[in-house]
Amino acid sequence: METMLSVKDLEKSFKDKQVLKRVSFDVHKGEIMAILGPNGAGKSTTIRNIMGIMYPDAGTISFQNHADIPRHKIGYLPEERGLYKNVKVMDILLYLAELKNYPLHKAKERALAYLKKFDLEGKENVNVEELSKGMSQKVQFISSILHEPELLILDEPFSGLDPVSQDLFKEEIRSLADQGTAILLSSHQMNLVEEMCDRLFMIQRGQKVIYGTLDDVKTEYASFKCTIRGKNELSAFEQIPEVRRIDQKEDATILHLSKNTHPATWLKSLPDHLTIQELRIDRISLHEIFIDIATDKNLLQEAGEIHA
Amino acid sequence: MHNAMKVAKWEIKRNLKNKSFLIGLFLTPILFFGFMLIGSLFGDDSGESAVTTHVYVHDELGVYEAIEATARQHEFDWKIQATDIAEKDIQKELIESENTAYLYFDDRAYSEGVIPVYASEEMSPFFMNQVQVLEAPVKALQMKKLGLSDEQLAAVTTGIVFDETIATTETDGNGETAESGSLGEDPLEQFVPGLFAGIILLSIVFAGMYIFQSASQEKKDKIAEIILSSVTPGELMQGKIIGYFVLGIVQAVVFLGFALPFAIIKLEIPVFEYLFVPETLLLVSIAVLGYLLFSSIFVGIGATMADMSSAGQFQGFVMMLPFLPFVFIGPVLSDPSGIVAQVGTYIPFTAPGVLLLRLTVLDVWPWMQIGISLVILLVSIWIFMKLAGKIFKVGILMYGKNASPKEMLKWLRA
Repeated sequence: METMLSVKDLEKSFKDKQVLKRVSFDVHKGEIMAILGPNGAGKSTTIRNIMGIMYPDAGTISFQNHADIPRHKIGYLPEERGLYKNVKVMDILLYLAELKNYPLHKAKERALAYLKKFDLEGKENVNVEELSKGMSQKVQFISSILHEPELLILDEPFSGLDPVSQDLFKEEIRSLADQGTAILLSSHQMNLVEEMCDRLFMIQRGQKVIYGTLDDVKTEYASFKCTIRGKNELSAFEQIPEVRRIDQKEDATILHLSKNTHPATWLKSLPDHLTIQELRIDRISLHEIFIDIATDKNLLQEAGEIHA
Repeated sequence: MHNAMKVAKWEIKRNLKNKSFLIGLFLTPILFFGFMLIGSLFGDDSGESAVTTHVYVHDELGVYEAIEATARQHEFDWKIQATDIAEKDIQKELIESENTAYLYFDDRAYSEGVIPVYASEEMSPFFMNQVQVLEAPVKALQMKKLGLSDEQLAAVTTGIVFDETIATTETDGNGETAESGSLGEDPLEQFVPGLFAGIILLSIVFAGMYIFQSASQEKKDKIAEIILSSVTPGELMQGKIIGYFVLGIVQAVVFLGFALPFAIIKLEIPVFEYLFVPETLLLVSIAVLGYLLFSSIFVGIGATMADMSSAGQFQGFVMMLPFLPFVFIGPVLSDPSGIVAQVGTYIPFTAPGVLLLRLTVLDVWPWMQIGISLVILLVSIWIFMKLAGKIFKVGILMYGKNASPKEMLKWLRA
């Protein structure tokens, strides 16, 4: 696969605090790559360094193996985003396309098509300040893809959107990727990411935690967990084999199973005296991995240790 | 530069489509000239309604004719009549009359040096000033009585005048000073180009204030990052400075569009004749330099502010900088070559204003000082552009809070 963007050993400090520690990843043509991480992990800082809005202290960023980033080939939707207030929708779309050196008539054509696609038909002459927040988000999204970028960088594209608009964005992002656009998106909405990304890069305190394809990550980290509802003493679970961790909350007990545990076989090892009102076995979701990282639980380290 | 022009074009288009800008564009000159017109209307009124002052002269000294001549010479609106009403009856007379005054020329003028004046109520305060002029003929008469010859008289009555000649280093010695100092020339000839440049300076400095708003608005609307993904901060800043410069010129043109007909028709000044002189070029370029200085400061400071209402003391102080030359207006007008005026010429913030003022007032231009001042201006423009660029780059991306002077200092060092 053709590498569109390559980030190598990126480092950045604010004052004495190092916010990025040797961050490295690639984005390929036609794939959706997600940067995940809790607030303040360094997602936006990474993206701003790529966009040349900030300059890294160390490390390299290359676009199609060139060190200089051709800004007009990149579409960017920042996390902190807005539009000029007292201008018309079409005017601002054309201005932003013009800044990317995109031909005017083509921009106009595409703008109208996209406005229609996003249920904003006939809004092109409306003042930006009259738009609702969701509409304004859509216009911002359109502005980032109007000039047919080869690389699209979306920082928290789904924040503040209703489910209908979220689906609309998701579809559009997917179809852009299918057309060959390289897409780098950051988010902390795991369910959305899980549904659409090809590869992911999870970051915590400026450091890589997980990096790989979604499938790899799932088989690697997402082992099974068993949730049992019913009143049981904690000691009742201690003898059960292949349990890495036990979380007990009121009547519910969650048993985190070791990697490669076979669920059917494992079920037979449950003691007979357990009170079970409800029992569920499922894989740990990306969401849970994320929460674990964000709250500094040791699930991953354990997985790592066992894996090692 | 290409991108900067795009930004400039956008800023111009955006503002020209903006209602509040358009209203401001036309309202300023309308208000300005509206008030001037109203003022002149009132002025005319009082001119017409000015009633002739009745001056009754009780003449025991034989100065009546001399007084009449003096009054005529000074074009006083007086109706002079001789009277021999007694001093004690005057009060009664005055209560019933308006704009009436009684002057008593008798021995007291010589013995006590006092000429009693009785005036009706609500007498114009200028009247007493006018009366002072009569001192000369009375004095002359007094001296004649003392037996001075006409020659001696002429010598005594001619006042002594301090004739001021200022030593300038640039005097060529060909009598230029004397020539230009003569009263024969129309002072407006110099005044018009200066005023023209002043209007341009003021207009574009006001446009510079818009820059300030525009930069902080960029932050408030959170669009800065989107724009900066396409252009560099430097280009964005340049674009804004160029864009608002053009808007300032537009403002000046609109303003002059009101001012020129006003000047030509109402004041009957041959403006164009006075305007198309080489001096105008220098004055206008001083105005442009002034704009560049203030706009670079404004664009930098604007980028440090979340919004106008939360301006800190430091920002507020910077906002006032363009008005600093007003402090110098008084001293400069009273002594255009004085030390205060010279100091003002060398302070970058006041240089454009003070220089324009001085060049308008001064007959001989101090080229040396102009040169030094222009160099100071150019250097400080260069420095402030650099500094503003640094502040702008960081400040424009700092959302939701104002930067403290301490932070700005840190960015400058970075």
